[in-house]
This record gives sequence, structure tokens and C-alpha cells, in this order.
Amino acid sequence: MSSRIEILNDGGYRSDGRRQYELRDMTFDMSEQAGADGSAIIAHGLTQVLVSVFGPREAKMRSQTLHDRAIINVEVSIAPFSTGDRRKRARGDKRILEFASMIKATFEPVVQTSLHPRSQIDIFVHVLQQDGGVLQACINATTLALANAGVPLLDFVCAVTGGVHAAAPMLDLTTLEENDLPHVTVAVMPRTGRVTLVSMETRLHVDRFEEIFRLAGQAGSVLHKEMRAAVRERTKGVVDAMGSGLRTSDFAEDAMMDDT
Amino acid sequence: MAFKTLSKSEKAYIQSSLQASSSFRSDGRALQDYRTVALETGVVPLANGSARINIGKGSDEGGGTEILAAAKLEVEDVEHGDGVEGGRVSCSVSCSPSAYPFASSGTLDDLQHDYTSLVHSALSHPSLRPANLSILRGKKSWLLSLDLVVLSDCGNVYDALFMAARAAMWDTKVPRTRSVEYRASKNRTGGGTGDMEVDDEQQSGLDTRQVKAATDFELEDYWDEGEPLAGRETWPVCITLNLLPRLHFLDATSSEEAAIPHRLLLAYSFASRSTPTLQGMQLLGPGEVDLVHIKALIQEGEKYASDLYTSLNTKLKDEDIRRTDKARLRFAAVR
Repeated sequence: MSSRIEILNDGGYRSDGRRQYELRDMTFDMSEQAGADGSAIIAHGLTQVLVSVFGPREAKMRSQTLHDRAIINVEVSIAPFSTGDRRKRARGDKRILEFASMIKATFEPVVQTSLHPRSQIDIFVHVLQQDGGVLQACINATTLALANAGVPLLDFVCAVTGGVHAAAPMLDLTTLEENDLPHVTVAVMPRTGRVTLVSMETRLHVDRFEEIFRLAGQAGSVLHKEMRAAVRERTKGVVDAMGSGLRTSDFAEDAMMDDT
Repeated sequence: MAFKTLSKSEKAYIQSSLQASSSFRSDGRALQDYRTVALETGVVPLANGSARINIGKGSDEGGGTEILAAAKLEVEDVEHGDGVEGGRVSCSVSCSPSAYPFASSGTLDDLQHDYTSLVHSALSHPSLRPANLSILRGKKSWLLSLDLVVLSDCGNVYDALFMAARAAMWDTKVPRTRSVEYRASKNRTGGGTGDMEVDDEQQSGLDTRQVKAATDFELEDYWDEGEPLAGRETWPVCITLNLLPRLHFLDATSSEEAAIPHRLLLAYSFASRSTPTLQGMQLLGPGEVDLVHIKALIQEGEKYASDLYTSLNTKLKDEDIRRTDKARLRFAAVR
């Protein structure tokens, strides 16, 4: 099947009609999910991820707490119906644990854990639909959910998958493209320009790596704009609902948010 | 069981207000009222049928009980694989940790197992098995696996599970298949290689699945996703009766669930409207309930279940119209 579909045709279009550097349609839903302190549903095209954040709160296991900072606990569950072939993964599945530890490692340098000693921040990730770029969707959704929960962050974390077809780099791959191309997921902190995650499970020629890496970084700042707008809109909605007299111009002066 | 722990005085407060001469509930409902139920079908693009249900969104107690259900069909081999003649239904329930934020993973596994066994035993019973899950008699059949995900639990999760399951099953489309037969070609006597012949469309009046020689099948290329499951009206609805001495009420919130001693789950199937069948029954909670009392409750429950069945069917038909008829009109308009 995939041999018949052109990854990138002569006109410069991909199988789903996008150009090389075009990202898929993104939707952000930051409305409240029952009980969670903050939650977000992100869709990158057909990939859909729901993240709920609880905390900072008292740890379930008191023995695991650290005296000088909060611990981050990430649990990932993948819906059995999220892929083409039904596959039920247990909670202790190696792949899921690896996925969770990647998300945890990505956010450990970003969340200001030292502000909440002896507590725990729970991040529950649900993959509802998969169509490529699951890790990027999980990371972006976690950023928004953490922001929504009011957990102090140093910066946004914006992740994008990049791949290369022949010599042509592409961004935000679908499953079809991920199966055929070498790809790498890069998570950047756009404000400081730092990178918190680079994950690659395929082989990529070393000459191509730099180009993709640079492109993914640039795409990260595009994502940052979108995500920041979503956070602002959500915050504005909440503030309006509270009826407090905060003017919109106060937001514009928010140094943290505006300092790109 | 939402793992909500209440103090004794809080329990007494909820119980006494329910048992007061004109009973009060914290959200102002009458005893037999449901919270608002929101239902949408076709939410999972990769499933053969799916539904998302939310009970009580926007009430003061969080975002309500939310469940995502999706049914997927897989081909099973009856002769050599795990397949069963006539197809089978398998259900599993998974609870997201965010639905029970204070439960340990062990508790969560137990809870998942409890939900799964209840839903699976009620829905996979042979009396409810759809007639069109067979592909090739004695060879191939469909396995319908229904996965339910509890995204959040704000009480009355059992009714919600059954409603979501029913909606997903209602939405499920079984792909059309055509049996394929291998026949040695009469023109070429030498080679002995079989030619593949496909039954003509005209022969479909005869049930080609009965043909013994049919060894394989192919999917028909057709404009829609298939035909609905046979007998989709018969999938049961569940009613949870929350029992207090001398009264019962419906659709408890999680704090009400924590305050009452017993719950009685009744799953009814309305194959024929006049004589519904009881497909499942479970009494939750410690202690005992009078047999006479139970009999009366079964009668009462049938009435509530019938109301729920009617309104659920109305909503599901609306969803059918929204998704098929309107989509068709829109498609025609664009063209």
C-alpha cells in the first residue's frame, strides 16, 4: 500500500496534501475535565491526546517524596482503539513505561519543582487517537495542561517531529510517513532556545540531522505562538468568568508571556 | 465506588435529607431524575462504531462522568483460531487514573476487572449475539471487541457504561463481505492451477455463505461502511437503584454513592417492548436486602429502564440522522 503512495510528489505535495514544512491542523481544548487541576486535549491532525494534571499535592507514597523539590509522576495509557489494529497494552508495558519516562525527563528541567518540596505532580496522559507524532502531541498537551493547572514552568515546551525523504526534510509526520522515513522528535523551549528532548528510533544520515534539527527548532517557535495564544485565551476566559477587573492590557505587559 | 470518603456526619446529612418527607438532593433533583446526559456517536475515526457519553457535565461536581466506548471488528478463524461459529463479542473496561486520582494502581486494576466482568458477562451472552457476525460458516467470523474507557467518574458509572456500550454497538457497522470460491478452470485442463471466481452481484439473493466450497471472502467495495449490527435494539440498558431503607433513587453522584449502603444494578433488554428480559443483576454493598423488596425493585426498575431505553433510542436515531442523512445531503449539495 505505502509503496504506491508517494511520500512527496513532483509538485512538492505530501500524501495528505501538505507542503514539506507545513504542520497539520492543530486544535487545543483546555476546558476543565472532571476533577483534574489542569487538563488539555490536543489534536495534531488525527492524532489526539488528553492530558490531566493533578497537583502539586501530597504524594500517594510518602516514602518517595523529596525534601527539596516535588516529584513528577507520569502515567501513560494508550486507548486500545487508537490505532488501526486493536491492541491492548497493559499498564506495565515496556513501551508505555519508556514513553512515560521520556515525558518525565522532558519536563523535569522545565517544571520549577523546587517551589513545591515534599509534594507530587501527577501527569496522566491518554492517547486517544494515533496518526503519527504521538510523542510530540503528548509533550505539547502536557505543557498546556501544566500551564492550565498553574504549575510554575520556566518555559513552554514545544515538540515537533521531523523526517527526511530522499534529501527533502519534512515536518509533522503522519503514521504513513513515519513508517517509511527516518524521523526525529525534538522538544524545544522557544524562549531560551534550549532543547529538552531529542528522540530518534530510526537511522538518519548525520549530514541530514542538522538540517532537520534546525527546522524542528523553528517549527517549535511557530507552535509556541499557537500554544501561547491558546493559554491566553483560556486565561482570559477564566479571568472574565471570575469577573475580576483585570484589563486585557495587563496581559500584554506580562513579561514572562511576551518575552519571546 | 468513586473512592470518595465521607465523614459520618456528612453521610448522615445526605441520608437524612434524602429520607426527609420531601427529599432533597444537593443539586435539586427529584429522586427519580437523571442528570443531563450528553451523547455523541462516531467520535473515534478508526473504530467501526464509537460513542462518548457524559452524565452531568457542568453541574457543580466537576465535569461529570465521562466514558468513551469504541467497537472494533476483527476477523477470526473458526477452524484453527479462537473464533466461535457465529462470531463473538468481547468487552473490556479500562479506567483512567485521572478518573480515580487517589486510587493506587492496584485498586485501579481491581476496579477495571470488576467493571469488565460485569459488562462482559451482560453483553457477550449468546442471547444478545448479533446475527450478522458470521462471515463464512465454519470458517471465518467477526470478533467484536468493545473497549470502554472511563475518563472520569462522578457517580453512576454503571449506567453510563451500559449506555456508552449500547450507543457504540448501535453505531457499529459490519463491513459487507462476499464469499469467494476457488474452482479449477475448465478451459485449461493442463495447468491445474485454480482460477479465482467471484460471485456475481445478482446471486446475492441466494445466501452464498451457505455454499460449502466457499473458502475465503472479500470485502465489497461500497459507498457506506456496511450494515448495522443485527438486533441493535436488544442491547441492554442498565439501571442502578440506590437503596436506602424505604426509598430508592436514581443517578447518584459520587458523594451520594458513598453515603448509601446498597446499590442494585439491573440490566434490561427490550427485544420486545411488552416483555423485557433481565440480562444482568448485581447487588453491591454489604448487608442484606429482603427478597420481597428486591422483587418490587425489579418491577420498578423495569419502568425506569423503559423510560431510559425510549429516550436513548430517540437520541441514537437523532445521531443517525445527523451523521448519515445530513451528511448525505451536505455531500449532495457540494456536488
